Amino acid sequence: MSVASDPLVSESRLGDPPPAGRGAKPGGRRARWLPASYLTVPMLVLVVLFVIPMVILFLISIGLGVGRQESMWSFDTYTGLFTDPLYRDVAVTTVLIATTAMIAQLVVGVPLAYVMAFRSGRFELPLVLGLVVLDGLNPIVRIYAWRILLGRNGIINGSLEWLGIIDKPLDALLFNEAAVIVVLSTSWLTYTVIPVYASMKAIDANLFQAAADLGAGWWTILRRVLLPLAAPGIFVAVLLVYIPLFTDFATPTMVGGTSGYMLGQAVNDLILGRGDLASGAAMSFILLVCSGIVAALAYRLSRINRLET
Amino acid sequence: MRHRLRIGDLLALALVTVVLVVLVGPIVLLAMFSFNDSTIISLPFEGFTLEWYRTALADTGAREALRNSVVVASIVAPACVVLGTAAAWGITRFRFRGRGFWSGLVGAALVVPWLVIGVSGLVFFVFLEIELSLVTVTAMHIAVTFPLVTALVSARLVRFEKSQEEAAIDLGASQLQLMTKVVLPQLMPALAASLIFAFAWSFNNFEISFFNGGYEETFPVWVYSVLRRSFNLPVVNAIATLVSVIQVLVVYALYLFIRWLGKRRGSGDDLTSLVSGGIR
Repeated sequence: MSVASDPLVSESRLGDPPPAGRGAKPGGRRARWLPASYLTVPMLVLVVLFVIPMVILFLISIGLGVGRQESMWSFDTYTGLFTDPLYRDVAVTTVLIATTAMIAQLVVGVPLAYVMAFRSGRFELPLVLGLVVLDGLNPIVRIYAWRILLGRNGIINGSLEWLGIIDKPLDALLFNEAAVIVVLSTSWLTYTVIPVYASMKAIDANLFQAAADLGAGWWTILRRVLLPLAAPGIFVAVLLVYIPLFTDFATPTMVGGTSGYMLGQAVNDLILGRGDLASGAAMSFILLVCSGIVAALAYRLSRINRLET
Repeated sequence: MRHRLRIGDLLALALVTVVLVVLVGPIVLLAMFSFNDSTIISLPFEGFTLEWYRTALADTGAREALRNSVVVASIVAPACVVLGTAAAWGITRFRFRGRGFWSGLVGAALVVPWLVIGVSGLVFFVFLEIELSLVTVTAMHIAVTFPLVTALVSARLVRFEKSQEEAAIDLGASQLQLMTKVVLPQLMPALAASLIFAFAWSFNNFEISFFNGGYEETFPVWVYSVLRRSFNLPVVNAIATLVSVIQVLVVYALYLFIRWLGKRRGSGDDLTSLVSGGIR
């Protein structure tokens, strides 16, 4: 659900010192071990199961031997992946699909968040709850549901045939980029809408009235009041959604066919298909670096904007 | 002006309707076909049957996958609530060296895509020659899910009145008393939500279970592999419908529970503020 690491660092960002807890009391010798007693186990879990595996992932990508294999250090896997035209095409497809899906979600999600925050009255809570409930459903089941709808013998083809609009089923509905974009967008819409909605809830609705009284039209209000104030939420949404979008591999595998082939699938096919652990690890590491860049950008932008507004 | 308002309302209604139809429609169709008396999932409807539910409940693969997922999530959820709450308390209430680093690490675990975490877990266990099984899946689930609890709980802790905690300390409460008598009761709604969300994260997780499970399949991995082989589809519909109904009921029950807690205490905690609080 809610995922940003924001709350963890927010108070230090706001400038006031971290809350003076018992640990901070002057002269308290407990200060030394108390935080450690709460943090040792969780942080050990993160170091052992998150940090070390990432390090090993990188080492294997540059030639660390696994099992009886000897270590052969080189960056060949990376040059191999970067020079292979196949992966360049896949990367382009992936970025196109992920970006289109992200934009589609913002185009639908930002107005939806606005409606939920300001226009839905007593339906506000059911709508939020509905989005949360939908997100609680199994993602693989949701992808499968789309296959039933779009498939060759699916509902859309069936209905169109029954109505006499088409003679034979349209194959173009499934197994292409468009299907991947639609399915990805619907899978992640909750994560796009909720942060934007949360930032909009913090806006004083009187601002709109004030802007209107001062002669601003709806376009000016949207551009100068609503969007700047909702911007932090929009960046959080991008942070939460864009990264999983371009690393997804279940959706393209199940509805993408050959034209909707994405980088996530390449990782899977390299490792489980070809058994090429080093290249698969390299590809994963590239995706990790890309996620880091996206995260840093979105985080930077959201903070800059907060200072300005 | 009034005319304009009505157009706005109509647009709002249209938007919400379209979104709901697109989001909910496919799931409803999936459920409808679980009652269709035909082995192929397509129109027209051949009649009503409960056959697929009977087959699904007797299917050993399905039952095993469901049992695996429930067992894993039942270990992951409470473990994550304990670890996540401890981490949230440590990070929000103390000032110490490396605090920024550790809270950043917790945040990073939430941002790094599950595919990369899944692959890194796979190479980690392969390198250490640990056999992939539900144990490795559980371990990885805990590592990626407890940061979610930390985010949810920290969001509550940051907004707490700290005077109560300080009063408890000044009155001589021990750390244990402070926790059990003051802090945890106030965190109740956030903890309940964390437990359910952590369970759902683990139960729904596909990527990590897929790469770290070896030959042991969780429910999403089972659905994925059955769909790849494209047989037994109505059984998948039936079992997916059952699971979805239970998931909807559980989230709704959580909402009711948190509302009930809020009413009893007179606090403004509701699911919405919890969910959005975790994000802000």
